[in-house]
Amino acid sequence: MKITDEVRISDNGFVFNSKTGDSFNLNPTGLELIKLIAEGKDFNAIRDIFLARYDMEELRFEKDFYEFCALIKHHQITTVENPLDFK
Amino acid sequence: MEKIKYEKPVINKISAGVPSKFGLPVKQKIISDIDGIKVSTLMEKYGSPLFVISERTIREVFAEAKRAFETRYPKVQFAWSYKTNYMDAVCSIYHDEGSWAEVVSGFEFEKALSNGVNGSQIIFNGPDKSETDLTMAIEHNACIHIDHFDELYLLIEISRKINKKARVAIRVNLDAGIYPIWDRFGFNYENGDAWNAINRIMLAENLELIGLHTHIGTYIMVSSAYAIAASKLANLYMAVHRKFDYWLKYIDLGGGFASKNTLKGAYMPGTETCPSFDEYAEAISNALISSEIPHENLPVLFLETGRALIDDAGFLLTTVLANKRLNSGRRSTVIDAGVNLLFTSFWYNLGVYPSKEMSGGAEESTIYGPLCMNIDVVRDAIVFPHVNTGDQLVIERVGAYNMTQSMQFITYRPNMVLIDMEGKTHIIRKKESLETFKQQELNPKR
Ligand SMILES: Cc1ncc(COP(=O)(O)O)c(C=O)c1O
Repeated sequence: MKITDEVRISDNGFVFNSKTGDSFNLNPTGLELIKLIAEGKDFNAIRDIFLARYDMEELRFEKDFYEFCALIKHHQITTVENPLDFK
Repeated sequence: MEKIKYEKPVINKISAGVPSKFGLPVKQKIISDIDGIKVSTLMEKYGSPLFVISERTIREVFAEAKRAFETRYPKVQFAWSYKTNYMDAVCSIYHDEGSWAEVVSGFEFEKALSNGVNGSQIIFNGPDKSETDLTMAIEHNACIHIDHFDELYLLIEISRKINKKARVAIRVNLDAGIYPIWDRFGFNYENGDAWNAINRIMLAENLELIGLHTHIGTYIMVSSAYAIAASKLANLYMAVHRKFDYWLKYIDLGGGFASKNTLKGAYMPGTETCPSFDEYAEAISNALISSEIPHENLPVLFLETGRALIDDAGFLLTTVLANKRLNSGRRSTVIDAGVNLLFTSFWYNLGVYPSKEMSGGAEESTIYGPLCMNIDVVRDAIVFPHVNTGDQLVIERVGAYNMTQSMQFITYRPNMVLIDMEGKTHIIRKKESLETFKQQELNPKR
């Protein structure tokens, strides 16, 4: 998963996608998550960071993480790989 | 190091310059209890989903309607519209408040009798009255509201046969300046059918004409339509007096007052747009009092108000089964109560609320019921907080046309519970079980 080149993320949680012209707001955990994704970290690494910082359950985070990923993919914030490559 | 409280990560698209219909989102409403009883307590005790009806609300709304009319018009009589909600416990509360019964089938007629209503205080409406039904109604001195000429002639025959007078009124359909005009029920005013029917009844030895009835439609948002309807019935009432030197006893303006639910496609919420009981009462009373009818001969005003009296008293408690992202990116929530329990979800945007404060934002979502059927959509677009599996929700204003109309389908129908004036809960209809079905089904193959 890679953040599209055209996407800019500011420190106050504002996201602009110059490819689509859309802009977005992130809440604080959303901002933290997208930054970790932008750093190229994978799910396991991100989960460990969140688990260390936040009072939450592992499965709850896994659900939220994948839902968030589906949304940013939908908004073309991440580049889409061919889903039929079955990698 | 102490851990920080976790909040679900969210991303929201900003749609510049397009605020939602009602301006900026307001603080999320929650319904945590009904008449002081926690939603969680109710569901723990009686399961999910669960219909709950508040006796307090029934009585309060009724008192408000009664006050609105009785302070403006000398003689008012409500008749509870059975079809709106014929749970015996519910009907009994209305009868206790002094309401007569308004029924539209032999079944409802029998139900009213079994609820202890005197036959002479049953108004029998509708196009479906068999010979057996009509015989029962005549025997019980009910007020039979004739729907069509075939019924009129059948009544003449039956009353001759059993040699007993039938007390009748006619249902009139008329142009009250609203669309659609319900011309399928009763006799038309404008084309003279209503007047012809009256004349035929006055000639029949065994029929006693006692009133005039109309029901102009349902969820009528303009109170002036009732003024038009009342004036037209007042004209017929005076015409009967002039021609036959006879005063009818009542004018029945039916039901149709809007409840505070919001119609699909409406721009403003129903709570903002529906006329109050005072506005309806003002329109109707003025029309009757300022008609040609002399004050001392004013008819009793009958009202068959249904949804506006009971919608607010009913709640459906339900549990979140799952959340799902659709391929379109849209958030959807699946709950354990479907459209088979919520007939009115087909024409209202029902209010669905969490029962506790939810952290995180809200997002436009679709709420699906549990049925494995594509039509099972409880709300197709609602700005809704991020609820989780197992969270308890409350659907409000479902007292009318849902409880007794709920359809058995795929799962058992749930418990129905009444909260009485002391805050005690009572099951008023038991949840179904396999036994319920076995009692009715016969299988010749086993
Ligand atoms: C004859 C008659 N009276 C009263 C009612 C109650 O109507 P509402 O629930 O709109 O008040 C109905 C409902 O359709 C009806 O058909």
